[in-house]
Amino acid sequence: MSKRKGYWNNVWKEFKKNSLSVTGLVVVAILFMIAIFAPLLANNKPYIYITDDDVYFPIIIDYEEFRGRDLKKDQFEGFKIFPPIPYSYSEYDLDAIVLPPSSAHILGTDEQGRDLAARMIYGARVSIFIGFVAVFIYVSIGILVGALAGYYAGWVDMVISRIIEIVMCFPTFFLILTILALWGPSLLSVMVVIGITGWTGIARIVRGEFFKLREQDYVIASRALGARDLWIIFKHILPNALAPVLVSATFGIATTILVESSLSFLGFGVQPPTPSWGDILSQSRDFMDFAWWLTMIPGIAIFITITSYNLVGEGIQDAIDPKSYRR
Amino acid sequence: MKWYLVKRLFLIIPTFLGITLITYFMIRLAPGDYTTLKAGLQGELRSGSIGREILEQEKKLYGLDKPIYTGYFEWVSKFIMLDFGVSRKDGRPVSTHIAEALPITLTLNILSIIIVYIISIPVGIMSAVKKDTLYDRLSSLVLFILYSLPTFWVGLLLLMYLSGGEYFDLFPLSGIQSDWAYKLTPYQKFMDLVWHLVLPVITLTYSGFAFLSRYTRANMLEVINQQYIITARAKGLSNYKVIFVHAFRNSLIPLVTLMATLLPALLGGSVIVESIFTIPGMGKLAFDSILARDIPVIMAIASISALLTLAGILLADVVYGLVDPRIRLEAKL
Repeated sequence: MSKRKGYWNNVWKEFKKNSLSVTGLVVVAILFMIAIFAPLLANNKPYIYITDDDVYFPIIIDYEEFRGRDLKKDQFEGFKIFPPIPYSYSEYDLDAIVLPPSSAHILGTDEQGRDLAARMIYGARVSIFIGFVAVFIYVSIGILVGALAGYYAGWVDMVISRIIEIVMCFPTFFLILTILALWGPSLLSVMVVIGITGWTGIARIVRGEFFKLREQDYVIASRALGARDLWIIFKHILPNALAPVLVSATFGIATTILVESSLSFLGFGVQPPTPSWGDILSQSRDFMDFAWWLTMIPGIAIFITITSYNLVGEGIQDAIDPKSYRR
Repeated sequence: MKWYLVKRLFLIIPTFLGITLITYFMIRLAPGDYTTLKAGLQGELRSGSIGREILEQEKKLYGLDKPIYTGYFEWVSKFIMLDFGVSRKDGRPVSTHIAEALPITLTLNILSIIIVYIISIPVGIMSAVKKDTLYDRLSSLVLFILYSLPTFWVGLLLLMYLSGGEYFDLFPLSGIQSDWAYKLTPYQKFMDLVWHLVLPVITLTYSGFAFLSRYTRANMLEVINQQYIITARAKGLSNYKVIFVHAFRNSLIPLVTLMATLLPALLGGSVIVESIFTIPGMGKLAFDSILARDIPVIMAIASISALLTLAGILLADVVYGLVDPRIRLEAKL
């Protein structure tokens, strides 16, 4: 076990040498923070509200008397501290539609007068969450299927390889669109569909690694000692096959975020009122001529997120195999 | 080689069945059967404004009145006879729709693949030859940025800034030919087509540069370290000759297989690009039929493009074996 730790320590040491990849990792970490703390960053309720006779914490506690009220209004007198973006993602103001960035709305507003900054922050949640969960689903499927094919070889491998070939043949994006159109798009269905269509790459990698490792001495020794197949697969071979999976999964998150935003852009992603970057971009099409902030800000956000994940993936790849110049 | 081919061709049968099975069951098992999905039909049925018999007729038309296995069997037998049914949107045969759309998408994609290869291969070779120089780093960075730019965003920006609107009016907003194309001479027609294709082709290609040139660079670096290259240098050949005569040819081999994997990706990309630029190709046909729940068209596109991809993979494998005798094809199964 300690030997394993040593390996990943080395990988981390190599990874740290690449400043671009470390930057990517930092950006990813920041995005995670934004996603987790979204309600504290963009909210139309104050953190703390002190009146003459009471102290309230409206974000943490749901007070009956404030429900449906706008605490920003002057009628609520007293001392208030608001989050940096004092708007919620669904709060609209028809007197302030399609406004350029200003001190009141730092990233401007959209066609319903909703604050773009608040929507971007909540959109980060969708991107990060879908990226992670969908990739987790397909990595799990891919590892399982690839391990079975690689470990048992023979006819098991033959059947699994055919299935992989079949799924690979379908144009993935079209398949995803079709399934979503028929089953109805939602946060869950987007993740599941990307998950069940995306596993072939991982399965092929794991299969290849298992082919290389199944005849290694330690595997044969373990088998000779009477270890069960599942034990050998998960305890002995899999840990040694995980490095390339990690690389592929990191690039996969970038691709998934791109696919999710493309789906939202076409109207088959997460459904309103939940904000998603692709959806914001899609809505901006009607105001493209003048509302540059509605096109540029979500586009740049998607770009930065994808770039960061790709940089991290590249860094891990170089760290795992410093000699490699392959993608 | 011969046995490999025979085996490979036989394995097409289970793959073909798998592709059609997935296509059929995906559609048939969708919640709410699709005859009622047609806009408003469900509501009309509930309010009683259309009769049961119309629904039954619809069901019969799409084989929904039969059990799922019989339905699948009938659909596949028709599919093999190249009978894809009629579009439920306009009643025209699906094959006509595809025959109109496929050439456009193929033109777009083949043009894109050629451009990607023409630009990325030299860039990749230069990066390999000048490894770790400023040029290598700079081109990697630029390509990396291009690779990470979302296609639909770039398409949108190109439209916004270069096709009318508030900014430059350099390129047309949509379609692949002008309304007045029928009045033009063949040469003008060609130029008109080129003019329409500039933005879509840019959108389709820019992200491909990174992948392919990195790939070329990696292959080239691998080849450059081979002994026969060292031999070539040792016998005093010029750098140019070593690179282009000895190294380049051998680094091309893996690029062959890449063609097969590029095709389905490009087809997927066409959905977005063709929707943005309103190009009447397979991508737009696919997207429109998904929007209209035009099941026969969806099924035909899904299975036909899967089969085309299968053919591509097969072709690449065989060509790979032909150009590189070191590959033992039997082992690859």
